Amino acid sequence: MLNKFYLVLFSFAMLFGFLSSQCKYTSQVDLKSLSASFPVWKVVTDAMAKCGNLQAELDQEYRSKVVEALSANPSLYQLVGVSASSITPLIDQNLIRPLDDLVAKYGKDLSPNQLIKVDGKVMAIAFIVNAQKFMYRKDIFERLNIKEPKSYSDVLKAAEKIKKANLIDYPLGGTYKTGWNLAQEFVNIYLGFGGKFFNGKGDASVNNSRGTKTLRLMKNLTKYMDPEYLTSDSTYVQKQFQQDKIAMANLWATRASSMNDAKESRVVGKVGFVATPSVVRRGKPATTIWWDGFVIAKNTTDSEAEAAFRLGLEGIASEVVEENSDVAIWLVKGYKPGQLADAVVAAAELNAPNYPSSLKMSVMHTVLGKNISNYLTGKKSAKATLADIEKDYRLAARESGI
Amino acid sequence: MITTDNLRNSPLLKFLTVGFAIFWCLLASFPIAWITIMSFKLPVDAFSVNPLEVIFGYRTLESEKGFSLLDIALAVAVLYFLFRFLQKRKSLPNDKGKLSFWLTRGVVLPVIFLGLFFYLSFFTNAIGAKIGFLGKPILGFTLENYESVWVGREFYRNFINSLIVTTGVVSVSLGVGVLAGYALARVKSKVAFVLLIIALIFRSLPHSVLVTGYLPFFINSREILSPFLGEAAPTLYGQPLAIIFVLVAINQPFTIWMLKSFFENIPTELDESAKVDGCSSFKAFYHVIIPVMWPGVITTGLFSFLLAYNDYLVTSLLLDAQNQTMVPAIVSYFNRETTSTDQVEAVAAAVSIIAPLFILVLVFQKQIVSGLTQGAVKG
Amino acid sequence: MLLFILVPLISVLTQSFYVTQPKVEVQEVETCSPGILTQTCVTESKQIPVLDEKGEVINETTFVGMANYWNVLEIDLMKEAIAESNWADILKIDFWSALRFTLMFTFITLPLVIVVGLLVALTVNSLIAKLRGGIIFISLLPFIITPIIGALSIKWLFAGDGILTVFLEWYLERDISIFSTAWTIEVLMLFYRVWHVAPFAFVIFYAGLQTVNKDSLESAIIDGANHWQRLIYVIVPHLMPLIIFVSLIHLMDAYRVFDEVVAFSSQAYVISLQWLTYDFLIPNDGGYRSISRASSSAMLTMVGIVIILIPLLRRTWNDYVGGKS
Repeated sequence: MLNKFYLVLFSFAMLFGFLSSQCKYTSQVDLKSLSASFPVWKVVTDAMAKCGNLQAELDQEYRSKVVEALSANPSLYQLVGVSASSITPLIDQNLIRPLDDLVAKYGKDLSPNQLIKVDGKVMAIAFIVNAQKFMYRKDIFERLNIKEPKSYSDVLKAAEKIKKANLIDYPLGGTYKTGWNLAQEFVNIYLGFGGKFFNGKGDASVNNSRGTKTLRLMKNLTKYMDPEYLTSDSTYVQKQFQQDKIAMANLWATRASSMNDAKESRVVGKVGFVATPSVVRRGKPATTIWWDGFVIAKNTTDSEAEAAFRLGLEGIASEVVEENSDVAIWLVKGYKPGQLADAVVAAAELNAPNYPSSLKMSVMHTVLGKNISNYLTGKKSAKATLADIEKDYRLAARESGI
Repeated sequence: MITTDNLRNSPLLKFLTVGFAIFWCLLASFPIAWITIMSFKLPVDAFSVNPLEVIFGYRTLESEKGFSLLDIALAVAVLYFLFRFLQKRKSLPNDKGKLSFWLTRGVVLPVIFLGLFFYLSFFTNAIGAKIGFLGKPILGFTLENYESVWVGREFYRNFINSLIVTTGVVSVSLGVGVLAGYALARVKSKVAFVLLIIALIFRSLPHSVLVTGYLPFFINSREILSPFLGEAAPTLYGQPLAIIFVLVAINQPFTIWMLKSFFENIPTELDESAKVDGCSSFKAFYHVIIPVMWPGVITTGLFSFLLAYNDYLVTSLLLDAQNQTMVPAIVSYFNRETTSTDQVEAVAAAVSIIAPLFILVLVFQKQIVSGLTQGAVKG
Repeated sequence: MLLFILVPLISVLTQSFYVTQPKVEVQEVETCSPGILTQTCVTESKQIPVLDEKGEVINETTFVGMANYWNVLEIDLMKEAIAESNWADILKIDFWSALRFTLMFTFITLPLVIVVGLLVALTVNSLIAKLRGGIIFISLLPFIITPIIGALSIKWLFAGDGILTVFLEWYLERDISIFSTAWTIEVLMLFYRVWHVAPFAFVIFYAGLQTVNKDSLESAIIDGANHWQRLIYVIVPHLMPLIIFVSLIHLMDAYRVFDEVVAFSSQAYVISLQWLTYDFLIPNDGGYRSISRASSSAMLTMVGIVIILIPLLRRTWNDYVGGKS
């Protein structure tokens, strides 16, 4: 009994000693932050909250209110987490402040790679990148003597073999949930085919042979998926993978570590990771690279902005990163990529493109998400679907003033 | 009562009735019972394909402790003796009309039961190892999900926020509703009735439209209101008090409607006789109506409560994380980047949200039925 | 109260005739974003909103008449379909397919809710008093639990290899995926709604049954009426006002069907009118909401509910005016 007591005491002491050593900067200013709510953000905001009076709001639907919240004067939040696409409206509507002076003053530990620059001005501090990588069941691949797929035609062949062998419910999993996810898959493959979303005049142009090829490939892939693919988001696919229901899937890299979590997964140690396959032989991997970072609201006082920025840096300090190196692929100095990052790093070396974020692209992404399912369910032909995408894009673009 | 003897005469009909009753009870309770079972298991069991694995939780059993046959027998025994105790003792509140009667049955007894059960199971665990099969845990059970929801994620904060919002909504909407409903039932003004119908139709407007209408105003309210209120102008966004008014406004037509129908069923002669005795209108209301209106008010209040407690759209858009109520808080567990653990925790949180509703219905069941019977819902 | 109700209503009506958009211009912008190893910089011409001297976006509001409505109805596609008398094509237009589902949903659940509610009420009423309390309690559960949680708990039972799907597969000896065809999703949505609302109808009908005039029932028995006749000629007429009340509430709520679409994530197969409005309102990745189209679809939704409710409301109105002393 007494032993236990000392143990508790000791761990408390450790904890406090640890905490006090961690913060290089502590702040008494009341601050609020808004960000998406995946595990990385939890790690980062927790680290920030230890060093200051931060009320962190983690909300996966933060996009639906971030513009309004930052337009208010004073802004409702000082520090906002953004991604490659959600930063666009904030820059366009002039809601966040340039960070050059703050970076010059406090940002000596930041690597140049982390500074998101628009017209030469630093607008955001990135700290992780995310892309998809291909996960597969090593045991099944070995048993059927299948090699790691390099391209999607390899994937289709492997899927056919696995289906014939009838080893598992579905050979393939895909995050094909209507909306954002489905559009993201289209973007990945379409860019992999070398497609461009806009022509020289800035008008939408997806109704072409590459668009058709993309849709066909997607439909071919769905033949090997759970028929409920149009409602499968990343979590669902991950769960199916863990429950031994699918043999391979192209999933976000941040999902990889949970495959080996014994509390959730029945396939611990059986999952292999490689770079996302390409769609054309020896092409680029069909994935896009996303980043996440933080920005500081414009409608705040200078002292609040400074405190928020410094607290933000505490959230992504090297100590935090070292402790959580498995949660994401960090851009922060001192990060040593574990096994998790290898596949993504490999993808990057093969020049996977960045997500082409812009105001137009955000309209396009939304429109894609709404329309592609019409083709997959057989409601419309590929041509008609692509034509509708262009038409809907023009209407939405006209409304938003483009 | 029309429990006509005739209905019971035919054996076939009796059989059908009982069969349907059982079928309906299963249908009504199964999904809820199932998520309750899931919430006590580790993710790998909870999302298993095999229903037996979900119920018995083999993997949960391996890593956590579980219940043995002895434990289950113990639970049944404790339950049985508790009931026997209840039947024999007259010291417990026994008047079915009283709140305390239902409070003891709805809250106090389950707590005693759980306490007694866990206390005794401490001993059975100690002897369990020695008696072999009977003492061997067979039913996986873990409180881990609940612990991480309530302690780790500080779910009690959301619980307190829910409490604030629902108390506010119920008291404001009943306060306004009783007065307006009484007036409408007695005065018979066509204008007011038309307004009520318009308000009812308005109820069918998509809530999302309303909320988007309110959102910019709520966020910028400090700027907008400062000319009138000066420094005291508040930012309404994120304020539970502001949410209370939005929810009341959305539901008020319905509340007034129900209370109006209820008051219409209280004979006008009652307040007239009071007026003859020399009471003012207000005094008549106070002395004559208030004592008889409780069943109707409780029923209507329960509907307001459900609305406020269960609302998702309004609360999720207009409250910030610090002031979020329980429902939007758990929906955020389900979003894009979640793991199976998050989802089982969300299930545990969902069960935690439902539990107070159980107790509420248990406590007020009699009043709801009698309130409705007395005519709170006459078209 | 009026403030909370009328102000949004009027603003929605006005917004449905206008389009508000930021003024945009094309600029060359260089953007640098992180790669895994090194940063990549891209220079491209982008459309950027113009800012005024205070640094705020300049918005332009233009009156467009009915254009928003035509956009929601996709009038050109409609004309095309009608010209070729290709009726199936009309249902490919979002608005009309949403309207079809919403109406179907409303009018199929209505009788089901009333019949199930009545059946449960009659059953409970004919049970011995000792059992009633417990059954009333269990019956109320689907109604009181949070709708989103109720819908999700049903979804878990069926989605993928939910245990009820597994059970059905075992029973029918075939592979079933509920969430891969439109009609199975629709059936599940109907089931959920009836499950959720029937208890509400039940408890109201049950309350009504307590006040059925015993004398008229007895005289019906003396006249030799069987169970069925007693139900049709004595009980149902007595419950009529309550049936109307339940119908009124149910029509309004069912017409607003929304939670099911979100919880079952059925938007690829089935959408409802309120979901359509909601979808317009959700900002796209660029943070823009199509408020004007949302407003017009909200107005169209409201027109629909008024039309549906007119007969019921007229009856209530007559009762109210007629009952005037």
